[in-house]
Amino acid sequence: MKFSIYRFNPDDGRQPHMQDFEIALLDSDRMLLDVIIRLKAEDETLSFRKSCREGVCGSDAMNINGRNGLACITRIFDLKEPVVLRPLPSFPVIRDLVVDMSRFFSHYVSIKPYLVNDEPPPEKERLQSPAERDKLDGLWECILCGCCTSQCPSAWWNPEKFLGPAALLQAERFIVDSRDRATPERLADLNDVYRLFRCRSIMNCTEVCPKGLAPSRAIEMIRLTMLSTAR
Amino acid sequence: MLAFIVFVLSHFLFEPPHSYSAWRGWALSPSVSIATAVFFAALLAHAWVGLRDVTLDYVAPRLARLATLSLIAVLLVAIAAWVVQILFLSRG
Amino acid sequence: MFFNLLQIQMPVGALTSITHRITGVVLAMGIPFALYALHLSLDSEQSYARLAQIASTVLFKVAAIIFIWALSHHLLAGVRHLLMDVDVGSHLPAARRSAWLVNVGGILMALMAAVALF
Repeated sequence: MKFSIYRFNPDDGRQPHMQDFEIALLDSDRMLLDVIIRLKAEDETLSFRKSCREGVCGSDAMNINGRNGLACITRIFDLKEPVVLRPLPSFPVIRDLVVDMSRFFSHYVSIKPYLVNDEPPPEKERLQSPAERDKLDGLWECILCGCCTSQCPSAWWNPEKFLGPAALLQAERFIVDSRDRATPERLADLNDVYRLFRCRSIMNCTEVCPKGLAPSRAIEMIRLTMLSTAR
Repeated sequence: MLAFIVFVLSHFLFEPPHSYSAWRGWALSPSVSIATAVFFAALLAHAWVGLRDVTLDYVAPRLARLATLSLIAVLLVAIAAWVVQILFLSRG
Repeated sequence: MFFNLLQIQMPVGALTSITHRITGVVLAMGIPFALYALHLSLDSEQSYARLAQIASTVLFKVAAIIFIWALSHHLLAGVRHLLMDVDVGSHLPAARRSAWLVNVGGILMALMAAVALF
């Protein structure tokens, strides 16, 4: 199988360039990650992140034939050759396929991704009915891989000020959590021309989410909540 | 705005004006000219929001952005004035 | 960083969206011209006749077709936006279908205009 992989090493003075690889597939190869790991055995300088190899850690997010995805759950049989691998778009590249996620994570931290509840804690847990718990479905499963935000044109044009679909989906996760008491503050924090409202419902995020989530819809829900609780 | 467009298009379909004076009489009648003015008010407000968004996305340097937004605002206000002139201030 | 727009895949909804933006700017630039045409039509018999003459030129007709395409696409995409804002058709399969409809609808309207004008 033929590959064309983005190479960049900040220490060797070269511009980023594409390097071609060719490797014979084994019967044991199922997912793209299987093959990349064997490619690294041939060229040890090839750098990429990986961990769980089952689509729950989000480490191996990359741009595969133009579309972001997780290498460990992308079947190689679905891929057109030559398979073009590039780092997530618009994120600073540390080396080869490894990108700097700090801006992405700082947006996440800024939406206060934790329960805010100053009521005295009960004996055991803060209770939540099954119906209330169901509201979190489609929101809690986010693995913060970055596929959505790095495919979002609004995030490309305003990377520092627009929060991006991942952070906004997580904001919605806490807004609908019945145990959280900070909804007005959360909404007020998001009610800004840049932080949320750069979203144009382009929906690239929902197209590429490897977990099948819908950040565009979550953002819509936040907007509707803002409208219904306005003044 | 959509309703206005449908209204105007259907008027042209069913009662196309045959002459200059017929056209002028219809277009400048109080109800049509006021509806047109409201349409343009909505249009210019809509255009402002759209163009402001495009500017916010693509023009980053603060000064260039301020200049662009001001220019757009001035142009839209000028167009609004022109609409008023065409519809209400032209000679009887 | 990697950021070559030509090498990043654009799903159908993204195409609808950027065209919505481009048609918006085109329409905005066309407002002064449309207003001038309105002015000509109302000012006097002579200007009305002049407008009728301009309207029969090929250049005008081509511009009108482009304008009608821009208006149709922008209008259809705008309605799609409005519906998605109230949670109609905001799930991915429906969104992809409506994006296709918008893209094709705009071109269809332009074709019909072309037939009517030429």
